[in-house]
Amino acid sequence: MSQSEYAVYVENLSRCFGSFKAVSDVSFKVKSGEIFGFLGANGAGKTTTIRMLCGLLMPSSGNAVIAGYNVFTDAEKIKHNIGYMAQRFSLYEDLTVKENIEFYGGVYGLSRKQIKIKTEELLDYLKLWDHADKLTLSLPLGWKQRIALSTALLHDPGIIFLDEPTSGVDPESRRNFWTLIYQLSGKGKTIFVTTHYMDEAGFCNRLSIMKDGKIIELDQPKVLKRKYNANSMQKVFMSVIKGKKT
Amino acid sequence: MKRILYLVQKEFRQILRQKIYLSLIFVMPFIQIVVMGFAITTDVKNITVAVVDHDYSFMSRRFIDAFTQTGYFDLKSIGRSIKEAENAMQQGDVKLIIQIPFDFEKNVKNGKQPQLQVIVDGVDGNTAGIVLAYTNQITAMLQREWGSEINAEPADLRLVDVETRMVYNPMLDSVYNITPGILAVMLMVVTSFLTGMSIVREKEIGTLEQLMVTPVKKIEMILGKTIPILIVGFLLFNVGMLGIGFIFGLWIKGNLFTLYLMVVFYCFSTLGLGIFASTLAKTQQQAMFIAWFFMIFAILLSGFFIPVENMPDFVQVITLLNPVRFFMVVIREIYLKGTEIRYLWEEGLAMLILGLITFTSASMNFHKRIT
Amino acid sequence: MNKILYSIVIKEFKHIFRDSQTLVIVLLMPLVMLFLFGYAITLEMRNIDIAVIDYSKTPQSRRFIENILATDFFKVKHTDISLNRVEQLFFERKAICAAVIPGDFAKNLYKNKRANIQLIIDASDPNAANYIKNYFNQISMMYNSEINLQFGRLFSVEPRIFYNPDLKSDYFFVPGLIAVIVLLISALLTSIAIVREKETGSIEQILVSPVKPVQIIIGKVIPYTVLAFAISVSILLFGYFWFNVPLEGSILLLLGSLILYIVTGLSLGLIVSTVTDSQQVAMMATLLLTILPTIMLSGFIFPVKSMPTVFQYVSLIIPATHFLEIIRGIMLKGNTFFDLKIQLGYLAAISILLIALSVKKFSTKLE
Repeated sequence: MSQSEYAVYVENLSRCFGSFKAVSDVSFKVKSGEIFGFLGANGAGKTTTIRMLCGLLMPSSGNAVIAGYNVFTDAEKIKHNIGYMAQRFSLYEDLTVKENIEFYGGVYGLSRKQIKIKTEELLDYLKLWDHADKLTLSLPLGWKQRIALSTALLHDPGIIFLDEPTSGVDPESRRNFWTLIYQLSGKGKTIFVTTHYMDEAGFCNRLSIMKDGKIIELDQPKVLKRKYNANSMQKVFMSVIKGKKT
Repeated sequence: MKRILYLVQKEFRQILRQKIYLSLIFVMPFIQIVVMGFAITTDVKNITVAVVDHDYSFMSRRFIDAFTQTGYFDLKSIGRSIKEAENAMQQGDVKLIIQIPFDFEKNVKNGKQPQLQVIVDGVDGNTAGIVLAYTNQITAMLQREWGSEINAEPADLRLVDVETRMVYNPMLDSVYNITPGILAVMLMVVTSFLTGMSIVREKEIGTLEQLMVTPVKKIEMILGKTIPILIVGFLLFNVGMLGIGFIFGLWIKGNLFTLYLMVVFYCFSTLGLGIFASTLAKTQQQAMFIAWFFMIFAILLSGFFIPVENMPDFVQVITLLNPVRFFMVVIREIYLKGTEIRYLWEEGLAMLILGLITFTSASMNFHKRIT
Repeated sequence: MNKILYSIVIKEFKHIFRDSQTLVIVLLMPLVMLFLFGYAITLEMRNIDIAVIDYSKTPQSRRFIENILATDFFKVKHTDISLNRVEQLFFERKAICAAVIPGDFAKNLYKNKRANIQLIIDASDPNAANYIKNYFNQISMMYNSEINLQFGRLFSVEPRIFYNPDLKSDYFFVPGLIAVIVLLISALLTSIAIVREKETGSIEQILVSPVKPVQIIIGKVIPYTVLAFAISVSILLFGYFWFNVPLEGSILLLLGSLILYIVTGLSLGLIVSTVTDSQQVAMMATLLLTILPTIMLSGFIFPVKSMPTVFQYVSLIIPATHFLEIIRGIMLKGNTFFDLKIQLGYLAAISILLIALSVKKFSTKLE
């Protein structure tokens, strides 16, 4: 397969901040429709990597092609083809649910009619009709996350980047959120997700584990479990981190 | 370009939702116009005077009356001790001492040309200069009055009189000068400050990052921020003009549309300044310090109350970087003199150039990437 | 108890020195401002563009014009233009006043003993207009005494100017600028100090420890007093050596009242920071509370005595009003403590009131 046939193609990607190397020589490939997980402690370089892939941060060296476009030269074209949900909650809290959807729809260049249809679809799907005209500020965090994800999907992108989408959310909402992710994957979307929840890591098709800016393990969860002879992802993670230390 | 509409719409929704913010924007100007319009007067009034009168004659009385009758002086004491008067000046109680010598009246009548002494507190050089000018005028007036009274005026004394005509502001009302100036400063503060703050705010809550991964163009983001604030500023400007009209009875003399055009040029430069400052600042605290410095700089070096022409040359060159300096001229000219646009195009052009510079450097500094 | 205070003070100092970028801004900005504005703020006018229209064209009228030319106050820009051009000159801002000597000037002066000169002034800046009028009157008075040399005057006036004989603007404005800058800096510094801790949540950490509100506040005030004092002294030295502003009075009295004034500024910042919750609001409030009143209503430029009575009372609660009198009094007039006891009293009263209020506000917030 050539570079542009992968949804995400990354080769020796690095990023330095001054003398600090946040991400060093990372390489991986993600196929269309895959749920690709990024596991690692805080500061391991997950967010920096995802920001580079979204065209938010210029890589220091290496190569990355997203949806067939190069992050160095075609960052703006990439943005038409991806959805992004940041670690920080990124809806406007002083706008209502409907207004947020309308705004992001407009920003992605949807027509008034399309926005109207999309809004109705989303409100139906999220069962949020009762809260459509409430300020986002007043909603529980779990709902906000699902709305944020939905607004990131308004333009029907092929690849979705989720940076710790479920941090701080209660277990039930997290389960709902993952149901949503599976549905999207079923529709053929590529999902790129970072997390520090071990149970969530197990839901991914493939998983990479990051430490100190490097990918130190990458495979299917069940293969990893077998390799480290562990019955949970928690144990896999601990062995991987420890194993590399010595 | 359709995206801009959505950005503008969003911005307005946010503005309209913040009641405090709104009232601050529209109430502040009124307070400023009222307070400054009434409080600031460049006239020098209520000058405190101590008289040391050693003569106690009709003429010494007349001399003192001539001062109090002008309405500029506030007679604090009449005594005989110069020591006491000087002490009062030392403590800041009086700004002017008039000392009338013994036998003043007698000597005037005898043609002995007695000498009066006036002592001025020179700490405030401006006020002192004006006090001396008043004194000279009163003296000249009395010379003539007494000259004809005691028939000392010789037949061939020849005099030139100056007949002064004040145009555009015959009553020399400070309000004429100050209130259009407030409008200029206010427009600068609101447009550059609000733009800068709203960008820094989106940076902090993370929505700016979200916008950066959308296909929105840089220019659209900048316009989406500036257009709503331009509209708010424009509304504010009109509210301010109405306020000045109703409170002080001062209405625009020149062409309103010329002024509007100039407002657009002016805001072009101030909005650019706001965006530029927001790209410089890393934290809110720094943003505030930068804003604070710019504001004082822009106000003091604008000609608002210190005429630019009085400043040393190198400072005058620095003022060329200050858009407020140009708009200050424009608004006063149009407001008070009704000056036509053909005499103001240089200022308009200067603001346009400053706008181009700030906007260009702002958009060069404003990245759709995180740095 | 003293140990706790000590550790708060040390902690605050560490905060100040860690953020070196802001520290540099805070230290350098006042000097830049004093330098720039020390030069820029001057109300002395010179090189006033005047148009002279001489319809008389006689030796008498020319002599009058020579008197105008002899001063450096006026700069004769246009002569021999028609009266109709004057308005256009005003529009073009190529002249702001015009002297018109009528055709019968010489004739009137000799036949009728009285002659008129018309002075037309663009009064859109009333202050400048007043200046020009006064100055022109002096020129005409001089002319009058020149052409009447044989007649002595009835009496003469000997003017004496105390404290600032050359009527220098910088002697007035440099001490004023020091007062303005010190207040702004000290109020801003503290207002952010507490609010920043509120925002980052570290204040809760302190609050669960057995520290009294008074200790926190004093612990906050001491380091910023030191910092603000260092800044004030640096700009004071700058004003003394660069602008040559004299120091007639006692330096100890000056430094002492400076500390009192800084404390007043800091307590103003404190009260703001106890009331507000975000740095942004705190800054905005401090700016509004300080910039406008200190520059406009304190006598910094416009004499308080000339304001309407209401505003004269308002100016009493502005710290800068009192400190302006103190610093100008000490530097230029050599005032002693007894001359300034009222002003010092006001400053002390304002500080005590503000600190008491913020301690009270602060304690009730804890419960």
